[in-house]
Amino acid sequence: MTQVYHMRQLEKKLRQADRKHSRLYLFCNFIALMIISAYSALMFSAPVQTVFPIGGDSRKQMYAIFVMTLLGCVVFTIYAANLFFRRKSKQLGILMALGASKNRLLPGLFCEIFLLSSLSAASGILAGFPFVRGIWSLFRLTLIDSRETDLVFDFRCLSVSLSFFLFTVGFACLSSWRYLRRTNMMETIYEEHINEPVKELGKRCGPIGFFIILASAVTGYFSPRVWEALFQSYAPSWLGLLYLPIFAGLYMTMLHAVTHGWKNCRKNPYKNMIFRGIMKFQAKQTVNSLIIIALLIAGAAFAIFYPAAGIPAYLEYTKYPYDYFYQYRADQKGPEEKTVRELAGQYGISLKDWEECEYISLGIGQYTSILEDNNHYRTEYVPVQGEAKILSEESYLALTGEAVDVTPGTYMFITNEEETNFYANESAKDLTNMITRKQIATRFAGYLHYDLLSDSIGYYVIDSADYQTMEDGLTSQWKGNIVRFNVEENDSYEFANALYRLFVSSFDSSCEHVSFYNRVNKIMLNEAGETYWMDTEMGEEFKISYDNPDSLSFRQLWAYSPSFRILLTNDYLRTMGVLYLMFLFIFMVCLMAALVISHTRCQTIALNNQYLFDSLKKLGAPPSFLSQEVQKQCSHIFKTPAVTGMAGMYSLFLLILYANDGRITSYETIVLLICFAILIIIGLIDYAVYRMTMNTVKKLLHI
Amino acid sequence: MLYVKNLYKSYSQKGQESWKCQALNGIDFHVAQGEFVAVMGPSGSGKTTLLNCISCYIPFDKGSILLDGASLTDLKEDALAQIRNIKIGFVFQDFMLLDGLTIRENILVPRIVQGKALEEAGQLANQLAEMFGIGHIMDKYPAQISGGEKQRAAVARSMINRPLIILADEPTGNLDSKSGCKVIGAFVKAREQMGETIFMVTHDSFAASFCDRVILLKDGSIYRQMEKKASRSQFQNELLAAIKQMSI
Repeated sequence: MTQVYHMRQLEKKLRQADRKHSRLYLFCNFIALMIISAYSALMFSAPVQTVFPIGGDSRKQMYAIFVMTLLGCVVFTIYAANLFFRRKSKQLGILMALGASKNRLLPGLFCEIFLLSSLSAASGILAGFPFVRGIWSLFRLTLIDSRETDLVFDFRCLSVSLSFFLFTVGFACLSSWRYLRRTNMMETIYEEHINEPVKELGKRCGPIGFFIILASAVTGYFSPRVWEALFQSYAPSWLGLLYLPIFAGLYMTMLHAVTHGWKNCRKNPYKNMIFRGIMKFQAKQTVNSLIIIALLIAGAAFAIFYPAAGIPAYLEYTKYPYDYFYQYRADQKGPEEKTVRELAGQYGISLKDWEECEYISLGIGQYTSILEDNNHYRTEYVPVQGEAKILSEESYLALTGEAVDVTPGTYMFITNEEETNFYANESAKDLTNMITRKQIATRFAGYLHYDLLSDSIGYYVIDSADYQTMEDGLTSQWKGNIVRFNVEENDSYEFANALYRLFVSSFDSSCEHVSFYNRVNKIMLNEAGETYWMDTEMGEEFKISYDNPDSLSFRQLWAYSPSFRILLTNDYLRTMGVLYLMFLFIFMVCLMAALVISHTRCQTIALNNQYLFDSLKKLGAPPSFLSQEVQKQCSHIFKTPAVTGMAGMYSLFLLILYANDGRITSYETIVLLICFAILIIIGLIDYAVYRMTMNTVKKLLHI
Repeated sequence: MLYVKNLYKSYSQKGQESWKCQALNGIDFHVAQGEFVAVMGPSGSGKTTLLNCISCYIPFDKGSILLDGASLTDLKEDALAQIRNIKIGFVFQDFMLLDGLTIRENILVPRIVQGKALEEAGQLANQLAEMFGIGHIMDKYPAQISGGEKQRAAVARSMINRPLIILADEPTGNLDSKSGCKVIGAFVKAREQMGETIFMVTHDSFAASFCDRVILLKDGSIYRQMEKKASRSQFQNELLAAIKQMSI
C-alpha cells in the first residue's frame, strides 16, 4: 500500500477514490460534446450545405433544433459540473476544516477539474466525427445510398465544438473557484445535504401556467394577421416574442406537476408524501431538467415528423393517372413522339395513350401587395401581374378525358383533388397577350381538378373562342406543349432516367429557372424601369443549374420539371435523402440527449437522497415500498417531459398542417396517423430506458 | 487560553433578509488550559453555532474570540487556515473522515496539510492510535470500521498537530452508548495523558459529566455554568436537575 506523505499524493489518492463520481462527470461532458460536435459536423458538411435550400424552412428548422440541442447540452454540462462539485464539496470542506487554505487547495483542484473537463470535452469532440460518420454510413447502408449523401466534412464546424469546449472547461474552473470562495465552511462540508429552500407554491400555479401557454400560443399565432389587418403593414419580427411566455407557462405547469401533481388523491392524501417531499426540495433543478428534456423530445419528434410529412407526396406520385407527363415551351426542342418511342424501344418498352396538346402563356391580373415606406403595404389589383398557362376546352378534354364548358369571358382554375394549390387565383379580371398586349376581361368561374396540372404558376382553362383570340400574335416563347402517355405492361426505370436526361438536355439557358420565375412581372417591371427581384441578389439563392439535374432543388423547383412516375417514386428517397438522413440524425441525437439527461437526473436523485432512503429503511420500509417510491421519482422524470414534449409538438404539427390551407386533408390525416405511431415508438423507447434506469437506481440505493 | 467575549451571531435566509434568527446573543466565557469543558442546551440554543464560530468555520456578527491571546476576528484566509490547522483540532459529530484514505492517512491529514516532515508524526499517530485502542485498524478504510472506531480515529486526527484546544461537536451523538463511552474515554485520556484542552458540545449528560465544567445555553445566551465538585455520577444528577429546571 502506498503511504501518503505529501499534499500531492493525498490529492492523487482522493482523486482515485473519487473515480466513480469523476466517471459520471466525464461521461456527461463526453456525451454533450460528442452530440454537439456530431451535429455541427453534419450541419456544416457538404451534402447538407448543398441540399438544404439557403433561407429555406428545412434549414431554419435544422438551425432551430441545433440551438435547442446546444441549450440542452449547456444545461447538461452545467448540471454535471454542479453534481461533481456537490460530491467534491465534502472533501474540500474537510480539508479546509483541518487547516488547508484555499490557496493551497486551489492548484490541485484546478488541475483536476481542468484535466477532467478538457479531456472529456476533447475526446467528446473527437468521438463526434466517427460517431456521425458511423451513423451516416449505417443510414446509407440501410436506407439511401446516393452521390448526394456522400459525407464530406467542413472543418468550420470545429468552431462550434471548440466554443463549447471552452465553455465547458471555463465553467468547470469557475465552479471550482466559486466553491472554494465560500465563507461558510459548514455549507461546503454539508453541500450534499443542502436542499433548495421551500417556497409555498399555490395550487393554481399549474392551471395558470397552462392558460399562459395557450394564450401565448394563440396570441403569437394570430398577432401577425391582426397586425397586418389593422396596420396594413408587414408584421414586425419582434411579434415572435409573444411566444416567449410559453416557456414561463411551461415552467409553471412543470413546477406544479413536480410539487403538487395533477391528481388529487383524496382517499389517501399521504400516499405521495415522500415522493412529493423529495421532489419539492429539488423542484427548481428538477423542473429545469424536465424542461430541457421536454424540449429535446419535442425536437426529436419534430425532426422525425419531417420525413413523415413527405409520405403524402410519395403517395401522390403513385396515384398519378399517367406514367409520363411533361410540358415544354414551344421554342425548345422538347422530345418528339418519334424520338421517345425509339428511346423506349431501346429499353424494350412500347408506349400507349400518347396525347400531346398546346397551351399558351398569358399575363393575368392579380391582387398584389405593394410595399410602401416603413414596412407598410397596400393591396391593389394589378391587371398584368402574373403568368398563366392557359388551356383550351379541347386541350383539357384531350389531356384529362373530362369535357368542360367554360363560359366565354370567364376562366376555370385547375387545382388538385384536395384543392390545396396555394397559388389559386380567384380574383383575376384581365388576361393579356404579352406580345400584342391585347387584353380581354375575364372572371373566375370555378375549379377543375387534375393533380398533374397543378403547379406553382397555375393552369387555367378558358373558352375555346377566347383562347383563339388571345393566341393570335403570340410567339413560340409564349406557347407550349403538354405531353402525356403510358407504357404497355411494366415500366423501366432506365428508360425513364434516359428520357429525363434527354428532356433536360433539350432546353436552352432561357428556361434554366425555377417555377415561380414570373416572366410577366419581369417584363412589366423592366418596362417601368425597375428590376425584377429574381434578377437581383435576392434571386441568387434560387438559381438552379442543368449541371445538377438530380439535385433536390432542381427536381423540385425547375419550371419544366417532368412527372415520370417510376422516376419520382424510385428516386424519392434518393433526392430527399440528405434531408431525411439529417432529420433522422437530429431525431437520434435529440432523443439520445433527452434519454441520457433523464437517466443521469434519476441517478442524481438517487445519490442525493441516499441518506433519506437509508432512513426509510431504518424506519422499517420494506423493499417494495422503497421500490415504489423510486419508481414514482423516475417515472416522473421520464413520463412528464416525454408527454409534454410529444403532445406539444404533435399539437404544433397539427396546427401547421391546418394553417397551410385551413383544413386537414386526407393525406395530412395519414401523416398525422403515421406521426402518432412514431410517438408511440418514442414512448416505448422512453419506457425501455426508464426500466433500465430503474434497475440502475435500485442498485445504487441497494433496494 | 480561549476567551469568548460578547459574541453575537444571527442567520437570515436568502431573499428574506428582513427575517433574522438570533443564534448567539452576547456570549461571554473563557476556557483555561488543560480544562475539559462541555456546552449543553436544548436544540436551537446555539451550541453548534458557538463551536463553529470558535473554529472560524462560520463568520460571526459581533464580539471577539481570543485564542492563546490572539484575536480570531478579521483574520485573513491564510491566517485562519493556519489557526485551524495548528491551534485547533476539530471532532465532528459525523466523523468526517475521508473515505479514500486509510485510518493512518486520515489521522495524518492535518500534518500533510501543514506540509511538514511526517517521520515523527507517524510515530505520534501510532501512539495516539494505541492510546485510543485503534492501533489494529490503522491500515483499514473508514467504510471497513465501526462508528466508535471512526470517531476515535477522528479524535486522534484532531490531536496530531498537538493543538491548543480540541473542539468537539456532539462526538457521541451518532454512536451507541458503548462506543460513546469509548470516545469519551479517549477525550479523558487525551486530557490526562497529553494535557489537551477540550471544548465539547453535547446533548448527553453522561458525556458531559466527565467534564470539569458545563456551560448551559438557552436561546443563544448562557443560562448557567456548573463546575464538577463531587463525583461524576453526582455531577450528572446535578446536570439533569439543572436541565430540567431550564426547561420549565
